[in-house]
Amino acid sequence: MQQQGAGSEMEVTWEDQQNINKFGRLNNRYHELEDQIKIAKEANENLEDASNELILTDEDSVRFQIGEVFVHMANDEVESKIDQMKEMTTKNLEKMEEEKASLLSQMAELKKILYGKFKDSINLEED
Amino acid sequence: MHIAGSTGEPFSNLINNVRSIRIMVCKSAIHPRFLTKDICRPLQQYKVVEMKLLAQQRELQAKIPDIEKCLDIVATLQAKKGTGEELLADFEVSEGIYSRARIEESDSVCLWLGANVMLEYTSDEASALLQKNLDNATASLEVLIADLEFLRDQVTITQVTIARVYNWDVHQRRSKQVTATVVKDS
Repeated sequence: MQQQGAGSEMEVTWEDQQNINKFGRLNNRYHELEDQIKIAKEANENLEDASNELILTDEDSVRFQIGEVFVHMANDEVESKIDQMKEMTTKNLEKMEEEKASLLSQMAELKKILYGKFKDSINLEED
Repeated sequence: MHIAGSTGEPFSNLINNVRSIRIMVCKSAIHPRFLTKDICRPLQQYKVVEMKLLAQQRELQAKIPDIEKCLDIVATLQAKKGTGEELLADFEVSEGIYSRARIEESDSVCLWLGANVMLEYTSDEASALLQKNLDNATASLEVLIADLEFLRDQVTITQVTIARVYNWDVHQRRSKQVTATVVKDS
């Protein structure tokens, strides 16, 4: 986000500065979101593994972690719990993916404006 | 510069700095090389504050799932109430050592309030209290994120200002050099 090159004569208005700030915010949020999406995907996979294991098990009851303890629970009860959790993470994941798409389009829009004005005096790319 | 940091004083102070620097750049009465030094100082201050806020953010982000876990187990205990069933649970006695507990139907749980105090609450009260804690933590996290965004805006403004002053200085020196060579050649 730093200026480089021979753009010293260029006027940077408060509006330009706000656009640069906005781009910075979006970029930060984008990285945060990427991390969160990664975590959510992992959680989803874990839940998937858990429900698969549950199908394979011979036991009537399994230990399900709630809080800090492992509660003995009937398989079907655990199954519905896991399904519930899966649904929640999936929804959450969808919401985050949507936000990510909107962030990207907003960033592209700002890039167009800022590159249009500052040409190669500004660099908005990641390293 | 329209949003004020919720922590007040340090923020407004720093904003004024940015503002005054911008004015200084416009006037350019001071030699740019000293000016960049002047602008860099608030940048370092921003970084210090940012580190502090980030630490607070991490703390809150760890606290929220903890509270959610507490709510979860209280809800489980509440769900068992009235069914006459006992809750059979394996719990950690010490690190890596587990034992089995039979939790009889009960109307209350004890909450650790900190400062070596534990208080017994009915399940309803406990979950209300935990929910309140969760709401508070979520709200503080939101405020914190807004503060961080505000701070990062200040950092960006300062960085742009430094880049501009620096470029301006380079440009000035280059044009001086060009005039000097032209004079020498003639």
